Amino acid sequence: MVPIAFSAIALAVGGRLGKYAGWLAFAVLTYTTGLLGFILFQLRSWGGSLVASYPWGRYLGDFTLVADGLSTPFALVISMLAALIAIYSISYMEHERNLHAYFALYLLYSAGMMGTVLVTNLAAFFVFFELMLIPSWALIGVWGTGAREKIAFKYFMFTEAGALFLLAGIVTARFLAGTFDVFAIAAGMERVSVGTAVAIVSAILLGLFVKMAIFPLHTWLPDAHAEAPTPISALLSPAMVGIGGYAAIRIVYTAFPMVLGHGQFVMALVVLAVVTMIYGGYMALAQDDIKRLLAYSSISQMGYLLFGVVSLSALGLTGAVLIYVSHGLGKAILFMVAGIFIHTLHTRSIRELGGLAGRMPYSATATLLGFLTLMGAPPLIGFWGEFFTFGGSIYTGTGFGGVTAPNLTRIWVTGIAVVFSAMTAGYGLWTVRRVFFGGTPEPLKEAKEGPRLMTAPILVLAVVAVVLGIYPTVLTNVAAPFLSQLLSGLTPAMGS
Amino acid sequence: MEYITEIFVWPAWLSWIFPMLGAVLTPLLAKVHSKVRDYGAIVFSFLAMVMTLSLIPYLWEGKYFHNQVLWVVMEGAPVLSRLMAGVIVDPLSIIMANVVAVIGFLIMVYSLGYMHGDPSLTRYWFFMNFFIGSMLLLVMSDNIIQLLFGWEGVGLCSYALIGFWHRDSKEDWLKCWVGEGPEAYPPSHCGMKAFITTRMGDLFFLLGAFLLLAFAGTLNFVELQGGAILRVPLAVLIPAAILLFGGPIGKSAQLPLMEWLPDAMAGPTTVSALIHAATMVNAGVYLVGRVFPMFYTAVWHGGAANELITFFYVIAWVGAITAFVAGSQGMVSSEIKKVLAYSTVSQLGYMMLALGIAGSTAEFLVGYVGGVFHLMSHAMFKAALFLTAGAVIHTCESRFMTHMGGIRRYMPITFWCMSLAAFSLMGVPLLFSGFWSKDMVLEAPLLAGQYWIFALGAVTVAVTSFYSVRMLGLTFFGPKSSHLAEQERHGHHVHEAPKVMWIPFLALVIGTLAFGVMGPFVKGWFEGVFHEYLGELLPAGGGHSEAVAVHGFPHELAVWVTAGISVAMLLAGALPAYFLYVKRKLEPSVFLQRYGLLAVLRQFVLNRWYINRFFYKAIVYPMIGGCMWALKKIELGVIDRFNYVLANATAGFSNSFRKTHSGILTHNVEGIILGFVVFFLLLALTVMG
Repeated sequence: MVPIAFSAIALAVGGRLGKYAGWLAFAVLTYTTGLLGFILFQLRSWGGSLVASYPWGRYLGDFTLVADGLSTPFALVISMLAALIAIYSISYMEHERNLHAYFALYLLYSAGMMGTVLVTNLAAFFVFFELMLIPSWALIGVWGTGAREKIAFKYFMFTEAGALFLLAGIVTARFLAGTFDVFAIAAGMERVSVGTAVAIVSAILLGLFVKMAIFPLHTWLPDAHAEAPTPISALLSPAMVGIGGYAAIRIVYTAFPMVLGHGQFVMALVVLAVVTMIYGGYMALAQDDIKRLLAYSSISQMGYLLFGVVSLSALGLTGAVLIYVSHGLGKAILFMVAGIFIHTLHTRSIRELGGLAGRMPYSATATLLGFLTLMGAPPLIGFWGEFFTFGGSIYTGTGFGGVTAPNLTRIWVTGIAVVFSAMTAGYGLWTVRRVFFGGTPEPLKEAKEGPRLMTAPILVLAVVAVVLGIYPTVLTNVAAPFLSQLLSGLTPAMGS
Repeated sequence: MEYITEIFVWPAWLSWIFPMLGAVLTPLLAKVHSKVRDYGAIVFSFLAMVMTLSLIPYLWEGKYFHNQVLWVVMEGAPVLSRLMAGVIVDPLSIIMANVVAVIGFLIMVYSLGYMHGDPSLTRYWFFMNFFIGSMLLLVMSDNIIQLLFGWEGVGLCSYALIGFWHRDSKEDWLKCWVGEGPEAYPPSHCGMKAFITTRMGDLFFLLGAFLLLAFAGTLNFVELQGGAILRVPLAVLIPAAILLFGGPIGKSAQLPLMEWLPDAMAGPTTVSALIHAATMVNAGVYLVGRVFPMFYTAVWHGGAANELITFFYVIAWVGAITAFVAGSQGMVSSEIKKVLAYSTVSQLGYMMLALGIAGSTAEFLVGYVGGVFHLMSHAMFKAALFLTAGAVIHTCESRFMTHMGGIRRYMPITFWCMSLAAFSLMGVPLLFSGFWSKDMVLEAPLLAGQYWIFALGAVTVAVTSFYSVRMLGLTFFGPKSSHLAEQERHGHHVHEAPKVMWIPFLALVIGTLAFGVMGPFVKGWFEGVFHEYLGELLPAGGGHSEAVAVHGFPHELAVWVTAGISVAMLLAGALPAYFLYVKRKLEPSVFLQRYGLLAVLRQFVLNRWYINRFFYKAIVYPMIGGCMWALKKIELGVIDRFNYVLANATAGFSNSFRKTHSGILTHNVEGIILGFVVFFLLLALTVMG
């Protein structure tokens, strides 16, 4: 596993040389995708997880990379998106300068994301967390649009402030538990009171919530997503923000299980998740800039993800993983289509678009599929995500999971969340209608489908979303056993 | 139920796999040649039909089965750890699958003529075949999750095909828009409306499914029915049942979610016939029929009788009210397809009524079989009605009945087929399948002692006859409209539909007649089949609950009373319409002038009972307006602003210190000295204090 991270970084430097930096990036990332895909298919037979551990320092502990049922799907999606978006970038960025630097940063950024997901040492986690922040800040600031420096700064400040809370939480945990290793913390925390643990987790979650753009810490996201160069938006939103959700599962469930027994704390998170999903969707309805619309939609989807994270059931956690996958695929498709509009039609205002279905059939089909997976319609992967997430939450609410007592409030809140998920269909289909159906405005009469290098990655993602939707066992059978183990470890801790 | 692992299970799987495959292949076949694509699509729907037809013999043999394969594995998960996909072959699914596949095939053939020359045929064939596949998947599914795949699949097809002419061009206003005045909508709007409205119902359905899943631990129909349902405590079962019913309300366009279906008429007529009359909208009724035995088990074996019966009454009342409300709108609509659409909603209401009543009595057979029988006969005659209407629209190039008139002589086949199908819809006695099935539907409430529901159903018969005759009269009788005269001046004459179009609807009409002539036998046979299949559900010892005490009419009497009243109602509705619209002896506007109340009522109904407006005014517009407001006031006005306020405050704070950082050495030294003094003072204070 380590070679992945290091080769990516090393090649990032090498990428300065060639004119074909984009293809180089694609090659590297395809290699990592292949590796991770192989790991995914082998995980069951390897019996749980693949660990690579290296000594790092006495104080810091071992630098450990783990590919298990939780991290592998995340890492795989990141790697796949990064590979495909690298191709897309080649075409999208063709008129930009300093492409070698762009791709070097791009690789660094991808490596940062994968590292964040795979690493289990919290100190190293923080390093990678920063590693994905800094290149993306530079990417937005240099190649972005609009008030890019200001927005990149806003993005950086928000995330950095969050990261400091995260760091504070991690360091406190280090002092109390005596280790940075996420798997060992729980044992070291046994003597610590639940109140202290809640405080630590709150600090950590605060950091992660900024990343996930949970209401009301979300305002950096629409700006950053809208003004980043589109390939980067297509990585920021689907791949990066969801990592917060991953980390929440990894850190909270593994290291601080006692927190989850704190009923009010968990319910507060559930409510926060629902507010985020509704608020994000509601704001998406109001947008005219298509990239901003997608950005708010991401906020809403992060609400779903968080909802799965705090569902306290194996079903719901698997749902969260699938929602990440679904959102990753779907939102990447949608951002890339938005990029096609910007690239070929030079507009991103929904008002100026219309009637494009006949002229851009591939984009239209992919967009529809993208929104369908976001709204959780079969046969796309999003269906399973939402089904498991909400189903898992109801299951927990009934008290059968054994994790909590029957909780009627949770059932009601889940009901509200489910009903409001109609809003995703609302803004999704409304956007499809405004962009692709109806009459064509005069300036777009000559509109044509985007270049092959841009449509091909989109279609690949769409096909993946459908195939996974029809046969999700590929993911569920890797994620679910691990996650249910995680929960079975959780149940006794509830008793205390 | 027995497990069969032999070749016999293949048709049940292949029936939906074939059309799906056809859908996927359509874009590829289109690369070869457009003819290959067109006929290829039809071949796949034909194969589906062959598969479903081959299941019919099981009805005679009484041999039903259930076959599963492993689908989604989540080892370690508390529920759904090994989700099986499966097919279930029983009388309900066999009958429904044949309705879908046979009518589907006929409509595919009809499409060859109707859609001829459309530039987007690849898309059309793709979604049509995908629809047939999804619908059969839905029908054959043995569990709720797999059913949802079909369920949402047909919803997606419905969305895509209603908005098939997505250019929304004003020039085709007469052909593909729907409605008039403030309630006129372009196709893409209607498609979206259909999807979102039904989605709303589906979400409630999902919630119900979650509750069942959590308590019963399975979503498999066979397991639920076999006792898993009894694990669900009563306090959960009732909400779960009502939530589950949300899906059928949306899909089968019952109140309050009925408004999408009339507007779904913006799609091509073939789509209206297949999806919005014969098959998809029946999915809701089918689902109620599918979960019916499950809840029935809970009622009669779980001792939940009195509480759950409320749920079945809710279904029955929703059906009855919808039947009337929708029917009344059919009486005034000016568009031929919309009349039929309202009629569809109304007839679906009948089916719901029957199934609801079935659940509320121990004698469930009449209601249940009545509902299923009516589903089947309605699918046939309504598909025929739509296809004939399509032929008329095709040649008149307008969806408004005021643009037709007097075309009986020019298209005799269409005229006769439409009339016969309409007679079946009205329930003209003896010869038509609609008569037998509708009578069974009406018989059920009478038997159960639900006289108010019966009365509402009977009044709806009059309403049905009125709009049916009115539609025939306006379309085929009287003088030619000015629209047609105008067309003729452009050298476009009204003509009979081509063979490829009239053969399918003729076949459907013959089917309706055949079932009509054999009506009593079919009815008896259905009762026998379902009695054998569902017999085990009958409460042991004839029922032990108070609810059974509700007795209505004795059986023999009920049959005759129903037949008598329904014929009387038929005449009461048909005769006025006959004089007004066929003979045209009386002028409708004269009546409206003479009786002011009638005009007011007409206006009220014409405004769709204000239901549609209510949804737009109370939900859609406030939602959109509200989000704009919230964006401005809350998002940008408060939350985002707070960030900048914070940033500016920080900047201002540090700016206020800027002057002290002058960089002049003396100032710095002064500062250091000052610092030391303060430091020592503090130190002194602490030491002394």
